[in-house]
Amino acid sequence: MKTILKKILFIDLLKGMLITLKTIFSQPVTIRYPKEKRSVEESFRGRHAFVRDPSTGKERCVACTKCAQVCPSQCIYIDYSINDGGVRTLIKYEIDALRCIFCGYCEEVCPVNAIVLTEFYEYASYTRKSNYFDRNSLLRNWDEFIESYGGTEYLNKFWYLPGIKRDRLPVGKRAPKGILKEIKREEE
Amino acid sequence: MGSMEIEKIDEKTFVLQMGPHHPATHGVLKLLCEFEGERVVKITPDVGYLHRGVEKLGEHKTYISAMTLTDRLDYISSMTNNIAYCLAVERLLHIEPPPRAKFIRTIVSELTRLSSHLLWLATHALDIGAMTVFLYAFREREQILQFFEKICGARLTVSYPRIGGVRLDVKDRVLEEIYNFMDVMLKRVDEYEGLLTENRIWISRTKGVGVISAEEALELGLTGPALRGSGVNYDIRKHMPYDAYDEVSFEIPLGTQGDTYDRYLCRIREMRQSSLIVKQCIERMPKGDILHPDAPDLDMPHQGKRKIEAGDSLWSGFIGFSNKKEDIMPKGEIYSAIEAPKGELGIYLISDGSGRPYRMRVRAPSFVHISAIPKMCKGHLLADVIAIIGTLDIVMGEADR
Repeated sequence: MKTILKKILFIDLLKGMLITLKTIFSQPVTIRYPKEKRSVEESFRGRHAFVRDPSTGKERCVACTKCAQVCPSQCIYIDYSINDGGVRTLIKYEIDALRCIFCGYCEEVCPVNAIVLTEFYEYASYTRKSNYFDRNSLLRNWDEFIESYGGTEYLNKFWYLPGIKRDRLPVGKRAPKGILKEIKREEE
Repeated sequence: MGSMEIEKIDEKTFVLQMGPHHPATHGVLKLLCEFEGERVVKITPDVGYLHRGVEKLGEHKTYISAMTLTDRLDYISSMTNNIAYCLAVERLLHIEPPPRAKFIRTIVSELTRLSSHLLWLATHALDIGAMTVFLYAFREREQILQFFEKICGARLTVSYPRIGGVRLDVKDRVLEEIYNFMDVMLKRVDEYEGLLTENRIWISRTKGVGVISAEEALELGLTGPALRGSGVNYDIRKHMPYDAYDEVSFEIPLGTQGDTYDRYLCRIREMRQSSLIVKQCIERMPKGDILHPDAPDLDMPHQGKRKIEAGDSLWSGFIGFSNKKEDIMPKGEIYSAIEAPKGELGIYLISDGSGRPYRMRVRAPSFVHISAIPKMCKGHLLADVIAIIGTLDIVMGEADR
């Protein structure tokens, strides 16, 4: 009896319509993308960059090739020379961003925190070449990113790996310093 | 693929090729359907359009690097794929992640279950004709993806777990946000139920459609909600607990009829249970380390039986990982399965002692579920085929691998 009455009175459909009616009065959850932009979270894995060391103004890379070794899609190409003293000098460092799968292994394994996946995510382009980064364009990516970065100090989570025991990590990752934005401005 | 042709039974029937690019087939699934009038006589699924050779690729990468391939199997629940793979390697290595890592893994895998079921609900309802649920479910899914972004920096292909633990610790602030969201989520599930469960159109489209009995489901090898909808109590989380599932209490929702409606109810109740599991985990979250001390380093060597030589650039990593033994990994075979949102996701590994898996095989639930389509569709209308594909929750990335 009760179910028949429910059916005649369209209770089941009205119940659903009440829920949709309630939603009319709530705030929209969508944003108008190109005009409004959603802020990305801390340590978002976006476009690649070489960290410009504030003290030297150059990249930090020591050509250990760990990133190229661990990269699952093998999109990092490194060339280096070793001089008589055993010091490695970076000759070539290229990343094919279109092959990259953004797993973040490279920045996690880097012992000197040279490579980083920045929070910059709008780099779609019409040419393949513009997403094939070499040394200079990686540094340029960093400059672009740090200029648009909202905070004052940038410290990526993958640079110090919270929760993992410090003695497991290479020295450069045990207590890395954040990169201050102000210092860069003063230099300019 | 191209050579597959259906034999016509007689002139009364007609053959319809559905897919591979049909919005309701949830990926590149092709169905060769033979109809008599509007009734299905025979259906032949044709898979393989998304084959990328994941299993073969895994043989050419180290155990750590091969984990990123598993993200791309079932791309809407990548976290559970990673956990399945990591668990297999951990069982091969005889290590167990620390308690905090276990709890974090349980939280993220239940969040993945929520997001996967939300996507299933959204698309299933959209296929049948209820559009509002689609919009509502994606609203909540976005929130869950945002939590993943906060935890590990990626939304879809997360690569967050790691062999022997997880890669990053989760901040207490994020855990609190997740906890608060779970309360909201429980209310939202009630909303979805209010829209669908009693709705007369929904009931007439799902009740009695795609009925599969418990025996048939077991014969076909169905797992997950597709099996539990038929009333078989089989859940790996309960029967072979991994991670922190033995420390939390939850129920396994079961259906009775084995039709589309029962499977819908099963998944809806599972979403509630998932929210409760996440809440329990956050309440009991232990403090401490997140990585096992014997876990392999990220830059583990791939060549087996490597002698330690001074001056070798990999020697430090090698000592750190292999404990000065000649073999990098223990030899042997292992099959380990977890309860992924879609069903039993098993990873079978053969190790020959080197740093790469000798063979990696994925037992994907979607692939097994596709084999149930012909049986379930027989005698139904064309529109019901769409409902049956939706209720099995198929992701082709996993089926074709």
